[in-house]
Amino acid sequence: MAFYEVYSHPAVIRYKTSVCTKATLFLVVVLCLTYIPPLLVAYRSQGFWLKRSTYEEQPVVRFQYQTLMVAATGTQGDYVAWSTFPHLNNMLGPNLRIPAVSVKEEDLNKDGKLDLLTFQLQLPLKNNEQVYSVQLLLTFSYQLFRMSTVVMQSLAFVQLASPVPGAKLFISGDLRLQQRTPLPHRGLYNIYNVSVIDGSSPFASAYDLENIVRSYQARNLTTVLSCPMPVWTVGPAAGSPFELNVEIRYPVEVITYRPGFWETIKFAWIQYVSILLIFIWVFERVQRFVFQNQVLTTVSIPVGKPHLS
Amino acid sequence: MHPATGCCSNPMRHRAHLVIVITIFWSRENNVKACLPLEFTQEQYDTEDRKLVVALSATLGLFAIELAGFFSGVSMFSSSQGLLSTGVHASASVALLFFLFEQWECDIYWWIFAICSVLPAFVEILLFIAVFGLKKKPL
Repeated sequence: MAFYEVYSHPAVIRYKTSVCTKATLFLVVVLCLTYIPPLLVAYRSQGFWLKRSTYEEQPVVRFQYQTLMVAATGTQGDYVAWSTFPHLNNMLGPNLRIPAVSVKEEDLNKDGKLDLLTFQLQLPLKNNEQVYSVQLLLTFSYQLFRMSTVVMQSLAFVQLASPVPGAKLFISGDLRLQQRTPLPHRGLYNIYNVSVIDGSSPFASAYDLENIVRSYQARNLTTVLSCPMPVWTVGPAAGSPFELNVEIRYPVEVITYRPGFWETIKFAWIQYVSILLIFIWVFERVQRFVFQNQVLTTVSIPVGKPHLS
Repeated sequence: MHPATGCCSNPMRHRAHLVIVITIFWSRENNVKACLPLEFTQEQYDTEDRKLVVALSATLGLFAIELAGFFSGVSMFSSSQGLLSTGVHASASVALLFFLFEQWECDIYWWIFAICSVLPAFVEILLFIAVFGLKKKPL
């Protein structure tokens, strides 16, 4: 007495035919309809080839201790300036005013990468001088390691002008990466590893802010100081020094890159195979119906042990 | 040779194809607009509209030929014609569904028409000639 099914296995029936038959034509049509439409479906529904992707990394940023500062002390074009470039300081003449500067870079979360720059500048003023505007340029070295290795020199530019004289300017912002093109997925990317300001140049044009910003913005990869809320404290600073406090954080960046060959192929393959499985299942049923019911004539050979009798 | 292919699934596929062709007939405005550039004149619209109407009417005409052949018994029991017809009308239904919902351009309709309406009607006519003209037994 048979109560339950204890074991089962499929038995193969082979259908054979010669080359020039309707069955072969049917097979060719079915193969085309099984393997080509999934590619069309995957491609036409967009996103088949991965062209752009992102990753996160905190960059390794170091302040390069090169600074340029210009402060307007009147509304008629009087200014004082200071920099870390000896050639420029020599050219400034009477407009040179040397401030007291204190800089601190900290690694707040102790992960080996610096997170915060604190830059404090105190500009001494003469008795009748007031500060109406400030321009400050700071230079950094910026490095990324996770995908392509990026090494570059970049800058942060602070500028504020006010119709009323101020005693203090407080800037707190993030150093953000600006990409015009996606980065490569591997290799060394150091075409921008040149100083933003050429400190060895004796010409005044090398220290002109307009020239510096123009050639810097021509780059495809730059950093920019993102500071939405500068605080300009109004007041008579005459006599006491003008205070400039800048805090710059180095946050985790979301970086766009162009994926490599294998990553692109992996995602394309996943899309193709997941649609292919459906088509294989459907045409497997169609083929089974056609050949089992002899819609097209073939010779069927069941597999089984022949009886030896 | 299994007659079920000819008898039962074939008319179903036919009907699905027919229904979609009629649906496209009634809502062909979006498809016509997809063939035209952004700025188009009324004449351009009318030309494209007329072309699509001609294509749809030709499809219906070829349907009639196929149905005539089928009900006259010429191809009802020909399993290869049945298989071809089933396959081609099923693909036509799917393709025209995409045509309607994804608003494909008019030119694509001519391709679908060629493969999925002209081909089975042509085979139908060949069978007609074979049976009535050359007096061969229907397959």
